[in-house]
Amino acid sequence: MKKLLSVVLVLVLAISLLGCSSNNSPSEQAPSKQTNQNASEGKDTYKIACVVKDMSDPWFLRYKVGVDQLAQDSGIDCYVKGPSKTDSAEQIQVIETLIEQDIDALCVVPIDPEACKTVLQKAKDKGIVIITHEAEGNDVCDYDLEAFNNEEYGSKMMDKLAEAMGETGPYVTMVAFLSSTSHNQWMDAAVARQEEAYPEMSLVPEKRIECEDNMDMAYNKAKEIIKKYPDIKGFIGASSYDAPGAAKAIDELGMTGKIFAIGTGVPSVSGPYLKSGSNPAVLCWDPALAGQAQVKLAVLCLQDKRDDIKTGLTLEGIAGYDNLVVDGKNIYGHAVLIIDEDNMGDYDF
Amino acid sequence: MKYNKIVKRNEFFVVLILILFSILIQMKSGQFFTPNNLVDLARSITVPGIMACGLLMVIASGNIDVSFPYTAMLCMFLITDYWSKVQYSGPVIWGFLLAAFLGAVLGFINGILAAWMKLPTLIITLGTCTIYTGFTQGVLKSHVISVLPEPLEQMSKHNLFTVADSASGLSSSMHISIIILLIAIISAHFILKYTMLGRGIYAVGGDPVAAERAGFSVAWIRIFVFTFCGMLGGIAGLTQVTVSGMCQINFFDGYEMTVIAAVVLGGASISGGNGNVFGTMLGVIMMKLIHNNLILLGIPTSWSKFMTGALIIAGVSMTAYKQVVAQKRVNTNILADGEGQ
Repeated sequence: MKKLLSVVLVLVLAISLLGCSSNNSPSEQAPSKQTNQNASEGKDTYKIACVVKDMSDPWFLRYKVGVDQLAQDSGIDCYVKGPSKTDSAEQIQVIETLIEQDIDALCVVPIDPEACKTVLQKAKDKGIVIITHEAEGNDVCDYDLEAFNNEEYGSKMMDKLAEAMGETGPYVTMVAFLSSTSHNQWMDAAVARQEEAYPEMSLVPEKRIECEDNMDMAYNKAKEIIKKYPDIKGFIGASSYDAPGAAKAIDELGMTGKIFAIGTGVPSVSGPYLKSGSNPAVLCWDPALAGQAQVKLAVLCLQDKRDDIKTGLTLEGIAGYDNLVVDGKNIYGHAVLIIDEDNMGDYDF
Repeated sequence: MKYNKIVKRNEFFVVLILILFSILIQMKSGQFFTPNNLVDLARSITVPGIMACGLLMVIASGNIDVSFPYTAMLCMFLITDYWSKVQYSGPVIWGFLLAAFLGAVLGFINGILAAWMKLPTLIITLGTCTIYTGFTQGVLKSHVISVLPEPLEQMSKHNLFTVADSASGLSSSMHISIIILLIAIISAHFILKYTMLGRGIYAVGGDPVAAERAGFSVAWIRIFVFTFCGMLGGIAGLTQVTVSGMCQINFFDGYEMTVIAAVVLGGASISGGNGNVFGTMLGVIMMKLIHNNLILLGIPTSWSKFMTGALIIAGVSMTAYKQVVAQKRVNTNILADGEGQ
C-alpha cells in the first residue's frame, strides 16, 4: 500500500510540475511574438511595456483597458503584462522576461518596490526608461508618478465626511495596519484637515482602528465602536475594506442615515452601501488614467523632452493629470476620483 | 459530593472566567448585557463554532489540523465563483452539500496522509494548507466577489428575529446561519458521546497502541476525524459568505490559531483523549469575547494584539493549572500505592 501511495505521490508531483511549466510558457511566448511584429514594422513607434501587480484583479483589468485604449488611439505600441496573482517573485520574473525583449520603456506598478530594485537597475543599465506608480520614494526609476499627493487625498476624504456629518460630531479613523505608511499619511492629513476646518467635529479617544485589509474585521470593529460611542457620526477609512465594512455594521445596527462611512473604496465592493447611503461617497483614483499617464510620461522621456517635465506640466487628454507637481523624481497629479451613487455605474472595478 | 464534582469540572473554570470577563466589560462600557450585544455575540461565534466542532474531534484523537480555514477558503471561493459564473438560482442547500462534500474530500486527503504515511499531522496539514491556498490563488484565480449569486444573497438577508436596545437605539438581527451551528454542535456531540466511533476517538487520543489492541481501527478513526473536520470547514466557509454578504479570501487568515486556542481553552488536552463539545463552545465564546470587546474595554489599538495574547494565556493557564494539580494527585496516589484513592 505504501509503495502504491509513494508512486501516486511522485506522479502527482510530476504532473503539478508539468502544470506549472505549461502555465508559464504562453506568457513568455506572447510578448516575443509582438517583438517580431514590431521588428518587421520598423522602429517608428515606441514599444512600452506596463507591468501590473495582478492580472486577475478588476483594478488592473481597468488599468489594462486604459492602456489598450491609448494604444488604439495614439498608435503607441504599449501593452500590459503581469503575474496571475499578487506575487512579487513572479512579478520580477515577468519584468526579467520583458527587458530581454528590446522594449523602450517600462511602466511598473511594483508589488514590493524594495524587491524590484535589482531588476529595475538592470533595466536602467540597458537604457530602458522606467516610470513607476504606487512606489513613492523609489529612486531606481526615471520618474515615479502618483495620482495625487497623500495630504491632498486625506483632506479631500475629510471634506466629504464633514459634508455627510453636517460638520459636527465624533468620528474615528481606520487603517489596514498601523504600519501601513500611506494609509497613516492619509489619516494624519484627514485629522489635520478636521482640526483646521471643522472645529465642531472630534476624534474619539481610540483614534485609529486596524482592520487588516479584511472586511469582516472592519465590520466587527465598527460594530464595537458604535456600541462604545452610540453618538458617533462618522468613520473614515484608508483601506478599501474599511468604508464598506463599517457601512455594513451601520446598516445592520439600524443606524443608516445617522452614521456615515467615507474612505477609499471601489464601486464593486462598496456598491450596496453607496445605494443604502451608509457610504455617501468613496474615493479612489482611476487606474485606467494612471496607466495612460504613465505611458505618456514615458513617451516624453523617450522623445528627449525631459526639460518639459517640471511643475505645471499637463498630460493632454488625461483628466486629473494637469498642472502636475514635480518634486525630484516624484510627480503628483490631482486625480482623486470621488464615486457616489450617481456616477458609480461608470466605473467597472 | 455533587457540588465537588461540578467544581472539579474544567467547564466550571471556563464559565467562571467568562462571567468575570463579561462583568468587566459591562462595568467598563455598560454595553455587554444588552439584547443586541448578545445577538451580535451569537452571530460572531457561528463560523468559528462550526470549525471548532470539527477540530475538537481531531484534537480529541490526539492529532492537530491547521488546514481547515484554508479548506473553508477554497470551498467558499470555488462555489461562490462557480455559481456566479453559471448564474445559479436553485435552492441554496445544494451549495452547502457541495461545500460539505468538497471539504470532506480535502479533509480525507489529510486523513489518508496521517493514517498511512504516519507523518506528524502538524507537518501534513501545514503542507496541505499551503497547497489549498496556492490552488485557490493560482488555479482558481481568486478575487473579491462582492455581488453574490442569487441563492446566497437571499440567504444572507434572511434573519430569524431582530432585537433592539431601547437605550442606545441599536438593533441586531439573528442570522439564519445559527441553525447550521446548532446542527454541527448536535452532530458532534452525538458522535462523541453516544457512538462507538466517539469512544474510539477518545481511545486513540489516549493511547493509540491500547486502542488498536482493544479492537479499534486507528487508521480509519484518523481518516474519519480529518474528513469530518474538513467537511465542517467547507460548510463554515460558505456560511461565512452568507454572514458577510461578500466573499474575500482573507476572511480566515489566522483562524487556525483562534480555533485551536478556543478548543484548548474549552478543556481539550492538546495531547488528545479528552474534551467535549460544551467546553469547546465556551472556549469559542471566550475567544470571540476577547477579540471583539477590546475596544469596549478601552484598550488602545496598538496594544490590542498584546492584550489578545495575554488574555489567551491567562485563560488557558487557569485550566492548565487545574490539570497539573490533578496529574500531581494521580502521581502521589501511585507513589503512595493508591492509599489516597
